[in-house]
Amino acid sequence: MTTPIVDFHVVKRYPGFTLDCQASFESGVTAIFGASGSGKSTLLDCIAGILQPDKGHVSFQGQRLYSSTDKEHVPPDKRRFGYVFQDSALFPHMDVKSNIEYGYRLTPESLRKISTEEVISLFQLSNLLSRSVRNLSGGEKQRVALARALATSPDLLLLDEPLASLDGSFRGAIIRYLKSVHSTFGTPMIYVSHSASEVMALADHMLVLREGRPVTYDKVSSALVHPGLSEITDYATLENFLEAEVISNDGSGGLTELKVGEAKLIAPATHRSPGENVMVSITAGDVILADEIPSRMSARNTIRSTIREIHALDYRALIYVDIGVQVIVEITQASLTDLGLKVGEDIYLIIKTNSVVILDAAD
Amino acid sequence: MDTLLVTVLTLQIALVATVINVPIAVGLSWLIIKKRVRGSFVLDIVASLPLALPPVVVGYLLLILLGRNGPIGGLLNSLFGVEVVFTWVAAALAAAIVSFPLMARTIMVSMRGVDDGLERSARSLGAGPWRVFFTITIPLAYRGILAGVLLGFVRAISEFGATIIVAGSIPGRTQTLPLAIFSRVQLGDNDVALRLVVVSVALAIVTLALHNWLLERSQEESSVR
Repeated sequence: MTTPIVDFHVVKRYPGFTLDCQASFESGVTAIFGASGSGKSTLLDCIAGILQPDKGHVSFQGQRLYSSTDKEHVPPDKRRFGYVFQDSALFPHMDVKSNIEYGYRLTPESLRKISTEEVISLFQLSNLLSRSVRNLSGGEKQRVALARALATSPDLLLLDEPLASLDGSFRGAIIRYLKSVHSTFGTPMIYVSHSASEVMALADHMLVLREGRPVTYDKVSSALVHPGLSEITDYATLENFLEAEVISNDGSGGLTELKVGEAKLIAPATHRSPGENVMVSITAGDVILADEIPSRMSARNTIRSTIREIHALDYRALIYVDIGVQVIVEITQASLTDLGLKVGEDIYLIIKTNSVVILDAAD
Repeated sequence: MDTLLVTVLTLQIALVATVINVPIAVGLSWLIIKKRVRGSFVLDIVASLPLALPPVVVGYLLLILLGRNGPIGGLLNSLFGVEVVFTWVAAALAAAIVSFPLMARTIMVSMRGVDDGLERSARSLGAGPWRVFFTITIPLAYRGILAGVLLGFVRAISEFGATIIVAGSIPGRTQTLPLAIFSRVQLGDNDVALRLVVVSVALAIVTLALHNWLLERSQEESSVR
């Protein structure tokens, strides 16, 4: 294992609630996951330096940022972390451009790795620059907030439920942007969320918090099926957020053909043109598994996949299948037994057209 | 001519009182509302105390402090040989103290209206506390701050009770509009008294109109968010 990106032990006491959590995060995208009130945001604020813990230590790449024993506390403005708040916290007395430039101007020239032009083009903000932030849509606000944080060339990006106040279709777009941030700039991220679907779409590792204590820290695919998660996660409504490319969009049948991983999927019509990338959502409980193709049926999508992991939980089971990308399917334990599924075997996924939801808000 | 002189002196005293108060009121509001320093509760009460006390009490306490045998007055006298009591400076100090709570409380309300999240977010973008104060807190609260300043100013213009005790009512030196009106009424000089009343009312109306307009604008601003 390489040096952890963030290493901490944080104790923060409030009346009736204590956060006491120790962990080491690896690089990449780490999610802090838990129900509301589990201490996720408190932990993030302690890492950001906005809150000072009562006890413990926080280090970034081996560099000490906080230590209660040495009475050390690096203030948030000296940590070089980008922070994106749930409500975007844009400065209302500045236009979009000034918001983005606020932190950029404060970044020493030698540390500027990302230009404002780059973030403006990445988040497609060029036609919003002179707009007041007051009359932006929720999705636009979050894009500006992300651009503003990234323009400081942060060493680490902290995201506090950035999708929580957005409609479903906007969420898809922001997830796509976040993925491209990671692939374009390689900035490590800590992502706070109470949505297992978002965590699955974005994170490599996850720390699960429950009442201020860590439950588990593991790879997302393993942590997701940890017994401690069953009470905070409704697996049936778990959404697979998948990147897709529009292949054809023939208006006649009201259908769109998409490429997801190596599979072709039929979805309801979208206004997006062929070649464009979109985010689709497929709910884990909406997928049917079959060991052969039914001869006649109404569902338009039959996709051959390979079973990668099988996790039995209570009376349900989560099956991780591979269609070029990973898709999680939720079935009952009884079905699992009847079908006799085994890791490595091939299986057909049957998905109704309407269960492939294109998140195509043009925000 | 007499009216003009009194008006100018009144405005001078009120202006000096306001200039003294602004940095203290803004700083104190920041400490109480934004920094939430230990002892904020007590600070808040001390800042508001002149509002709850009879101005005569404030004037009397000032007289004790600034008098030749008082701790501050004695020091000034022995160091510089100056006497503050019964000068326009004493009138300005009295007006400053009495008008302070109105200014400070209005500024506190306007600062409370600035979302802490915006200040946190500025910190995370690399701004230190001073920069956050001048680029986020002040620009977002400035209309409320101006309204507080005007409210303090209008209160300083009308100050009577504390001034008469610590500065007396010396024509041309410490006699402000309210004191001049009082003295004219006592002398039965109703014509001049009424003229001064008209000036008082006009000053009050103009200042309050400006104050209300600013406050309305600042509320509009925060409600759009």
